[in-house]
This record gives sequence, C-alpha cells and structure tokens, in this order.
Amino acid sequence: MCPVTLEKLTKVYPNGYEAVHEFDLEVADGEFMVLVGPSGCGKTTAMRMVAGLEQISSGTLRIGDRIMNDVSPRDRDIAMVFQNYALYPHMTVGENIGFALKMKHTPKQEIVNKVRDTAEILGLTEWIDRKPGQLSGGQRQRVAMGRAIVREPKVFLMDEPLSNLDAKLRVQMRAEVARIQRRLGVATIYVTHDQVEAMTMGDRVAVMRAGVLLQCDKPQRIYDSPVNIFVAGFMGSPSMNLFEASLGEGARSLRLGSQEIVLPASVLAARPSLVKYANNEIVIGVRPESLAMAGPKRSASGNETVQFEGDVDLIEALGSEILVHFSTDAHRVEAEGMYSDDAEGLEAGSITRPGDGVARMAPDTQVTIGSRIKLQMNTKRLYFFDAVTGLSIEE
Amino acid sequence: MRLFNRIWSRTFAYVVLLGFTAFFVVPVIWLLLSPTKTDHELVVGNPFAIGTLHNLSHAIHVMFTFEDYALLNWLKNSAIYSFGGIVIALACSIPAGYGLAHTQFIGRRTLLGVTLFVMIMPATALVLPLFLEANAVHAVGTPWSVILPFSFFPFGVYLAYIFYSSSVPKDLLAAARIDGCNEWNVFRRVALPLARPIIALVTFFAFVANWNNFFLPFVMLPNSTNYPLPVGLQDLLAATPAFNPGQGGQVPIYRPELAIATIVAMAPVLIVFLFAQRSLVSGMLAGATKE
Repeated sequence: MCPVTLEKLTKVYPNGYEAVHEFDLEVADGEFMVLVGPSGCGKTTAMRMVAGLEQISSGTLRIGDRIMNDVSPRDRDIAMVFQNYALYPHMTVGENIGFALKMKHTPKQEIVNKVRDTAEILGLTEWIDRKPGQLSGGQRQRVAMGRAIVREPKVFLMDEPLSNLDAKLRVQMRAEVARIQRRLGVATIYVTHDQVEAMTMGDRVAVMRAGVLLQCDKPQRIYDSPVNIFVAGFMGSPSMNLFEASLGEGARSLRLGSQEIVLPASVLAARPSLVKYANNEIVIGVRPESLAMAGPKRSASGNETVQFEGDVDLIEALGSEILVHFSTDAHRVEAEGMYSDDAEGLEAGSITRPGDGVARMAPDTQVTIGSRIKLQMNTKRLYFFDAVTGLSIEE
Repeated sequence: MRLFNRIWSRTFAYVVLLGFTAFFVVPVIWLLLSPTKTDHELVVGNPFAIGTLHNLSHAIHVMFTFEDYALLNWLKNSAIYSFGGIVIALACSIPAGYGLAHTQFIGRRTLLGVTLFVMIMPATALVLPLFLEANAVHAVGTPWSVILPFSFFPFGVYLAYIFYSSSVPKDLLAAARIDGCNEWNVFRRVALPLARPIIALVTFFAFVANWNNFFLPFVMLPNSTNYPLPVGLQDLLAATPAFNPGQGGQVPIYRPELAIATIVAMAPVLIVFLFAQRSLVSGMLAGATKE
C-alpha cells in the first residue's frame, strides 16, 4: 500500500499527438481517486502510463518512494481491471483469479485458499469451475475484480470497469466496488466518463479535458465550485444551465437575452472582481435544482433571489422530481466535449437546444407546457464565468 | 404459378448438385472398387461391378510385399517428412504470427508483405533454387532436404497473424503482463493456448500440402528407399506394363494393385480431415465473432 505520485506526466505519440500534458496528481495511500472526462481526454492514457502499458514521454511516476518510469508492468505490483474485463478465455474462473499468484510462484495450497476466499467475497463460489464465456456480464466483471484484489497489490487501476454493464447492475456494482476498495484500503485510480460514478465513488475527483487536468478535489467541492465552464457543465446531471449574459454598469445588473435582472449588492460583495467585467460579456451558470418557481409567497427563505422568465417546452416527470425544460432568448453556452459519450449528459444535451434551460422541481409543482413561467434563483447559487477564458469568477 | 416456379428451381438446383456429385464421386467409387477386380475385368468389365474378396486380398498382398515392403517404407517416410515439416512450421509460424500482430518493430509491414508474397508463390517454382541450396550444403538425398523446405509455411504465419490481430485483444496480453508475466509467459500461457484452433488449422493445411507434395522430394531424393508415397507411386507407375510398356527387369505391378497404393496414399489425409473437422471449422471461424 503506497501513495502514487504523477509529476508532469506527459504522453506524446510518435505521430506528434499529445494525449496527456504535464499531468500532476497525487493519490494518497488508500485513497479512491476518480479520473473523469469526456472520451479522448487522455484519462485512460494517463492510467496506462501508471500501469506501465504506455511509455512515459516525460515526467516522473512514483509509487511509494520508487520511480517507476522504466519499470516493467509486472514489477510495479499493481492490479488493473479492464473495461472489457480481459479475462483469460481458456482458464476457469478460479484459474483466472489465481493466475497472478501462480506467476508469483505462490505455494499451491495458498493459491487455492486465497482464490476460494476471494470468490466468496465476490459471490463467485458457484462459478469457480466455469469458463468466462459461460458467465454473464456482471459475473465477468466480478471475476475481473477478483483477479485484481486477490493479489493485494500496492495500487488498483480500474479502467471504466462498469461501462459494459446495464444501468441497474452498474448502480449495484458501483456500491460494491466502492465497498471493496474501502475494505482493502489500497490507493485506487478509477477512470470513467460517467460523472455520476465520479461523484458517488471518489474520495477525490480529477476532471480532465484534452490531456489536461482541469480540477482535482473532493466531489462536492467540484460540484459546488467548478473552476471553469467545462467542469461546471460536465459535472452534474442534468448539467448546469449556462447562458451568455452581459453585466451592466457597476456590475449591478445583468442582461440575459432581452431580460434585465437587477443584482443585489450582496453579489458584488461576494465577488468584488465582477466590477472588472462591468459592461462586458460574461457567462452565468445556475444548477437546475437552484431554480424554483417564483411565486409571491416563495421568497421567504431569507436568501436574496433574482428572477427571470422562460417558456416551458417540455416537462419530464421522474417520479421524485420533474425536469422543466424552458427556453429564453438568451444564448446557451456549451463547452466542447461536455456531453460527448456521456449517456446521461447526452440525453440532457440532445433535448436541450441552444437557448434552453432545465429546472429541477418538486413533482407537485403546477406547471404546463407552453406557459410562460417566472423562475427565481438564489444569488448565492449563481455562478459567473469569464466569457473569454471560461474560468470561474470566484472573488 | 409461384409454386410451380419454386418446384422448378428446386429441381434445377438438385439436378446441378447431383451432376457435380456424380462428377466427383464416380472416380472415387471406381478407385475403391478396382482392387476387387482383376486387371482384365478392370478394363473391359462394368466399371461399377464389385469383384471378389480373393482379388482384393491378392492385390493387397502383392502391393505390400512389392520390393520388400517398399510401400510401408514410403508411408513411413511420408509421415516423417510431413510431421517433421509440420512441427517446425508450427514452431515458427505461430510465434511469428503473434509477433507480427502484437509487437511494433521496424520492418514489420515489409515482413507482412513478404509473407503474403511468398504465400501466393507456387511451391514448385522454388524447387530448383532450393535444390541448388541443398546441394551447396550437401544435404541432397537426406531427409532434411525435404523436411526443411516443408517447414517453410508462410500461409501458417499469415493465418496466425490474422488470428492474433483479430481475435486476441491487446488488453488480454496487457492483463497478463500486469499479472506478472514476462513476454515469454504472455505468449506461452495466454497467447499460445488461445491459438488451439489455429494450430489445428495450420497442422491440417501443412499436412495436406506436405503429404501430397511430389515435385520437391522427387528432385531432392535420388534413392528409392528415401521416397515418400507420391514419389513411390511414380515408381509403381513405371512398373505397371499398362502405363509403361517398355518396363523390364522389375516385378510387374497391375492396375488393381496400383489402386491399393493410391488408396493408401489418400487415406491419411481423409482420416486426419475427419478427425480434425470440428476444430478446423472453429479455426476457420476464429475471429469472425468478437466477444
């Protein structure tokens, strides 16, 4: 059990393509670190460099105190779970799980015991003599997990291990994987493009895009304080509503399409640097759950709110809540790659046309399609981004 | 009308099929029946008449005792040459295909191209240069002069290459590396056991090619005791008065006896095919579906 340290890790392919750029990351002993980002963002490449399956172009990789750049995969004492499981088709479940121990010349009886214990933990005892071809997707996934945990490695690497499972099983396995990891207390790097997995499983989450680490923090911190438009839009489902807007004189008002919104003084007090953007274009963001129907009796929460109007296009009833899709004449902002390859994000992205927004409301909210509604948002839950750099305006 | 059309097209299909079946099966039936007849009956009698058991046992006796059991000796030679060639061909082609499919090295594409090129080159075209080579190292007349060229089997390399590049995902090999295998163990414990259907396929094709090869051993082996079966058959033809009226000095061989020798030459390929059929089919389908 060791911490893993990546220092300025860079991968450049022979054709000149830079898949990972100066990637810094420190995974503490026992920590569950999730690498998340759209497909092609370099997260898998980064992980494969840790595994030793990709040459490191520059930078340093440490596991414990040892520099691992040129150490072969078999000497790194890591275990990896692959997206397609990569089980040995010619071996039984038991042989698959025990293979690494066999390669380490572990005594036969010890292998048998460890394989039996691991199979028991994962509920595979019944299938131990079957070949992988005779197992269901979920069972194969567990065999792959078993193969990794039986070795008691220093580091776990998991490359989208749940992406081939159906939605229900994925939720179930999500909890199971997290539980096993906590129990073993091994530093883990988990790659996924699913932000729900990232939010629910990780001790910390590292968001990547185009080979660059954008933000690495606790899931809630990333959700609450995204560093830029991309992170803001990528984390959360449905994703954050991001609109082009222009700040008025002295940053006291906001123009959203044709609507003029007066900003309370507390907004500027919390972010004095907003003054610099007065009379300029910015991007504002608001999470769907931070939007509520504005009613005469609803502003009693004590928080200052601002209001704007939208036309209801679509209502999705999810049972526990409703998603109200509305349109305004303000321009919606989408960062490139925000929705790509993300099943849940894609849904939101395909329904939401530019100019549209989503609000998450209680199921008993009275709202009809085609009506014009007044929405209010808590100013504390309002996000401001620089329209040029995309960076969050925090102070 | 539609029913009529269907019946008509069905009938047509069956007639064509039956025609082709007859075309290919009739000679085989004729061959199988011929050792039961005398040489005279074979020429003038009904081609599909069944002769006597006496004729059959006589033909077998004559053929097998011919020139001090030469037929058995040729059979043994054929087996040694064929299987010797197969063993070396497998030992080379499976690792070569694996290497071509899963490693990157300078000249890999060129090697693949060369493999394809020599694969489509007719083996007979190489016999003379091979003879000169064998002659240069004084190997002409030895079993090696046949076994070594037999073991040159680029088709096997290509089959293994196709198999490894299409049916063995790179992640599987990566998993083995992470599980503690060095490169040799990755091949030996993961890649090789997976190639079982391809090994069967290469074995079968190499066996058929080696077993039936006539020209190479004919050129390489001057001594009758070293002949494999196909070259031996040629020797028998020379001893058959019907094909070689001028033959003299030798014990004459008649056509029913020659048929026995032909059947003996054919049988191993048929038997191997019958037994290997299942793995052959799975081998040919290997890579067609991906899990």
